[in-house]
Amino acid sequence: MTVVVQLLILILVLIGTSFSILGVLGLIRLPDVYARLHAAGKVGVFGATLLAAAVALSAPSTASKALILVALLVIAGPVVSHALASAANRLGIPVKHALRDDLAKARRQLSSAQPNPPPDSPC
Amino acid sequence: MEEILGAVFVIALVAHLLLLGVAAWRVLRGENAVDRLLSVELVSVLALCVVLLTTLITGQSIYVDVALGLAALSFIGTLALAKYLADQRMF
Repeated sequence: MTVVVQLLILILVLIGTSFSILGVLGLIRLPDVYARLHAAGKVGVFGATLLAAAVALSAPSTASKALILVALLVIAGPVVSHALASAANRLGIPVKHALRDDLAKARRQLSSAQPNPPPDSPC
Repeated sequence: MEEILGAVFVIALVAHLLLLGVAAWRVLRGENAVDRLLSVELVSVLALCVVLLTTLITGQSIYVDVALGLAALSFIGTLALAKYLADQRMF
């Protein structure tokens, strides 16, 4: 491997690790679930993706599998974050420092349509 | 250049293991169910990063398959649990 490729791998690993550290730091520090979803989503999409790119560079024989892994992570990350956010919203978990709540009307219709109201206390 | 690379890989691995510990602690100490489920998903992603770093350190490229499987299965598991949390029933 030429020095340039090694340098590139070094940079990719460093940036990926910094994304992971910032993501977990955000998970601890941010006030509520919705903000933490932002932080955890970044770890999955950026941290692991850059590491997979570094693996692809370091072992060219597995470059195809690493690129498939990158594609899977980039697609799966946001989907999981969205599923978790909608689960939190349907459970009625309040948004701290909320400027406006667009889904309040939808939630009222949902609760009025349903025979038994959704559990109000977040379990 | 090789030893610098190896040192950085080991440092990154140790950092990810510490983050894994923090995320696992968040799983136990989450304030509500979605927060804990989010931490479980973060634990699986950090485990994926640890597996990727082991491929970089050991050089054996068999671990990429492990990472691929882990990414696919943890994604499906978290989705199923999120749906269960939202609707209070699985299907």
